[in-house]
Amino acid sequence: MLFNKRTERYFIWVFFPLALLMPLFLAENTFFVSKLTSVMIFALFVMSLDYLVGRCGLITLGHAMFYGLGGYLFWMIAPEYEAVNFWVYTFYICTIAAAVALVIGFLVLRTSGIYMIMITLAFAQMAFYFFSDSIEFGGNDGLFIYVKPETSIFGLSFFDLDNPIHFYYLCLLSLFNTLVFFRVLIRSRFGRVVDAINENPGRTTALGYNIFMYRLMSYVIASALGAYAGYLFTLQYGFVNPSMMAWTTSGSALVMSILGGMGSIYGAILGTFAYEGLHYLLEHLTEYWMLFMGILIIAMVMIFKNGIAGYMEKLLEKRI
Amino acid sequence: MDTSLFLVQLINGLQYGLLLFLIASGLTLVFGVMGILNLAHGSMYMVGAYLAWYFVEHTGSFALSAIISAVIALIIGVVVERTLIRQLYRRNHLDQVLLTIGMIFVFNALQSLLWGNDPLGVAVPAALSSAVPLTDVLEYPVYRIFVALLCIAIAVVMYFMINKTRLGMLIRAGESNREMVECLGIDIRQLYTIVFAIGVMLAAVAGVVAAPMSSIVPGMGEHILITCFVVVVIGGMGSIKGAFVAALLVGLVDTFASVLVPQMSSMMIYIVMAFILLIKPQGLFSS
Repeated sequence: MLFNKRTERYFIWVFFPLALLMPLFLAENTFFVSKLTSVMIFALFVMSLDYLVGRCGLITLGHAMFYGLGGYLFWMIAPEYEAVNFWVYTFYICTIAAAVALVIGFLVLRTSGIYMIMITLAFAQMAFYFFSDSIEFGGNDGLFIYVKPETSIFGLSFFDLDNPIHFYYLCLLSLFNTLVFFRVLIRSRFGRVVDAINENPGRTTALGYNIFMYRLMSYVIASALGAYAGYLFTLQYGFVNPSMMAWTTSGSALVMSILGGMGSIYGAILGTFAYEGLHYLLEHLTEYWMLFMGILIIAMVMIFKNGIAGYMEKLLEKRI
Repeated sequence: MDTSLFLVQLINGLQYGLLLFLIASGLTLVFGVMGILNLAHGSMYMVGAYLAWYFVEHTGSFALSAIISAVIALIIGVVVERTLIRQLYRRNHLDQVLLTIGMIFVFNALQSLLWGNDPLGVAVPAALSSAVPLTDVLEYPVYRIFVALLCIAIAVVMYFMINKTRLGMLIRAGESNREMVECLGIDIRQLYTIVFAIGVMLAAVAGVVAAPMSSIVPGMGEHILITCFVVVVIGGMGSIKGAFVAALLVGLVDTFASVLVPQMSSMMIYIVMAFILLIKPQGLFSS
C-alpha cells in the first residue's frame, strides 16, 4: 500500500519539534534522556530495515549483522586510546559496511522470498558466531570502547559525545537526516523504479531495468545505514557485543517495522517508540511482561493491518 | 580421531539428526500444506519438554507423561489453529512472522509463570537407563538408541500416512492445489486444523523425548527453532523427504564440527546452509 504523504508531514511536524524541545524540560532526568537516545538509534536501524523490507520487498532476517558490524568496525579501525574524528569514522564505517553489503548482497539477492529470509539469517548467524566464539573479539562479553570520538568540523565542534544531551541531539539529527534522505530517495527516479520492482518485478525487467542492480544498491544503502546505527549504539554505551547481531535483534526490528506500518519509513519511528514504550511500561508493571507484550502483538496483527501509520492515515482520512 | 570415537560421533550425529527431523518435519509440513511460517514451532518443543517434566513429577511414569503431553499438544494445536492461525491464510509471510513472534512471547511468559526460570531435568526412565558396550572401553546409552529408533519409527509412520492413507492423499492434494481440493467438496479448513495439530504434536513429542537428554531451560525453543529452519531450508521448504536428509546432514555436520573444528563449530551448519542455497537456491529437494 502507498502511504499518504500528508500524514507523514503531520507526523514530522509533531514528532521532531517535540523531540527537539524535550531536553529543555527533562534535561535533569539523565536516564530518560539516554533511554530516548537509544530508542532513536534503534528507530534509525528499524528505518533502514523498513526501507529494505517495505519498499524493496527484500525480507531479511539478518539485518542485525550490519548493526553489530558498525560497532565492531569502529573497534577494529580506531586506535584504542586516541580520540578520532566522528565524521571521518562515520564515513569509514559506512563505506566498509557498504563494501561488505555489496559482497553479501551479491550472493543473497540471487534468492528470493522465504529463501532470502533464510540465507540472510544464515549469514547473520555466521557473523554472530564468528564474533562470539573468537577470543580476539572478546567472545560473548564483547569489547569496550575507551575513548569516544571528537566531532569537530574544520576546527568547530558542536557536539561533545560524553555529554548525554549533546549525544541526544546528534542522534536526533541523524534520525531526521535519515528520514529526509529516504523521503528524497523514494521520490527520486531511483525510488520510483524500486517501487515498480516491488510492485511487479517481471514488468519492470521488461521495461529494460536491471532489477538486480537496483536491489543491490538498496541493500547496500540500507546496510550502511544499519551499520551507522550500530556505530551510534556503540558510542552511546561504550561497548560492542555479539548480541547486537543476534537474530532476535533482527526479529524485534522487524516487529517494530511491521507495527509502525511497513514501507511507510516514518512508521519505523512510531513502531520503535510504541514497542519500546510498551516494553518499558510492562516490564515495570509486571514480571510477566512478555505475556502482555505477546498478546498485544497478536492483537495488533489482527486489528491494525497496516500498522500504526496505516491506522493514523485511516483516522485522518475519515476526518477530512 | 580413532575408529571408536568416530563411531560414537557418528551415532551421536545420526541421533541428533533424527531428533531434528522430528521437529523440522512438523515445521515443513505446516509450511508445505498451509503456507504458514510458524516461528512459534520451537516453543512447542519447549512446551513438550516442560510438560514431560511436570507429568513425570506427578505421575512418576515417563511413558504416561509422554502420552499426556502429546494429547495436550494436540489440543494446543487445534485451539491455536482455530483461533489465531486461521486468520492468517490470506495474509503475507510478514504478518505470520509477527503473529508467531507474539505467540513465542506468550508461550515463554506462560512457561516462566507456570514452571519458573530455573533449569529442570527429567531422569532417564529406569527401563532404558542402561548402556550397551560398543567396544571394550566405550559404551552407548540405551535411551539415546531408543530415541533414534523412535524417531525412525515416527518417520516411517509419517511416510505411510502421507503416501498410503486418505488423509495423506488430502494433505498432498492440499499442498498442490487448495482451491481444487475445496471444489471437490473437502473441508480444507478441517484438514488444516489436523495438519497444524500434528505439527505441534511432533514438536512437543520431540521435546518430551529430548527432556531426559538435555536440561530443560527457558529459551530452549528459540535455539532449536533456528536449527530447524536450517534443516527445513536445506531440505527445501515443504519437503518431508528433504527435511529427513537435511536433518541427518545437519546433525552429522554439527556433531563432527564440534570435534574436528571446535573453534568454528557453531558456524558450521550456517556455512553449509549458505553454500547449499548458493548452489541450489530452493534447497535440495524442492518441488
